Amino acid sequence: MLKKLLLLAVLAVLVGVLSGIAGVVYQKVYIETVGEGFVNIASVKNIIGACLLGAFVAAIGYFLLSLVLKGKTEMVFNMLFVILSFASILGPIGFKLPLEQEMPELFPGLAVPMHFFPALGWFALRPFFGKSI
Amino acid sequence: MKKLIIFSSTLLLTAAVFAFAVAAQAWNINGKYNISFSTNAASGIFKTFKGTIAFDEKNLAASNFNVSVDVASINTGNALQNKHAKSDEWFDATKYPEIKYASKKIVKTATGYQVTGDLEIHGVKKEFSIPFSFKQAGNGATFNGTFKVNRNDFHIGKPGGDVDDVITVTVAVPVVKA
Repeated sequence: MLKKLLLLAVLAVLVGVLSGIAGVVYQKVYIETVGEGFVNIASVKNIIGACLLGAFVAAIGYFLLSLVLKGKTEMVFNMLFVILSFASILGPIGFKLPLEQEMPELFPGLAVPMHFFPALGWFALRPFFGKSI
Repeated sequence: MKKLIIFSSTLLLTAAVFAFAVAAQAWNINGKYNISFSTNAASGIFKTFKGTIAFDEKNLAASNFNVSVDVASINTGNALQNKHAKSDEWFDATKYPEIKYASKKIVKTATGYQVTGDLEIHGVKKEFSIPFSFKQAGNGATFNGTFKVNRNDFHIGKPGGDVDDVITVTVAVPVVKA
């Protein structure tokens, strides 16, 4: 149990950092493409922090589901992770930016894809942990 | 003697007419203005404001405002709300690109001044009074005003609904002598 928790924590850190880096890289590409990156709101600290938070919430969710679902954990968890990632895009779409911020219509284009990065990171790294978690 | 009286009277009359007709101080709008609005459901600013301002505290009769706001410059901080506000359901920015205000009369009140004029929003023109204060400092000055507009008077949006009918508008316009 303790080993499983430890491995889940390691997975969460790896997923959080990896998806955070992907988010920062995506932001750089976005700035180069459209000329706006909302760096005051989506700072490097905020992006990596949010990704770590998402990954840890996912890890806790995975652990709790595994206690109940046993062998079907992976299937249900993956489905839930995708559905919740989709649902979370309502956050950036409804987000109210500071009024001095120019071109708020470009914000969802930056933030919405980032909401899928933790799930992508999880699906990419989870197989490396095999049946250990 | 008769000629002197006629000459003096003409001079006095000319001076009186000239004094009445003398233009009030013209002011240029400084870029750091704030035209904001708030309701229970949304708040925001209009980023583009322009026009001519002539105002003299000692010559209110010659003072006047003729200003306009670019409707498409509305910013609520949220892209969806901006799009919604500019749509034909609300301001219809394509058909009515400007909110206009032209003063007709300015009077002094206990707390400052009140301007009465024609406010045109969404193609509807109505007489509208706005209380404001004027603070001068050197070559600059600031006009400040807060007032309420009932959006139903200008057929903006549907009555009732999520957004309050009465919208609070705050105006702060720094100006410099022209």
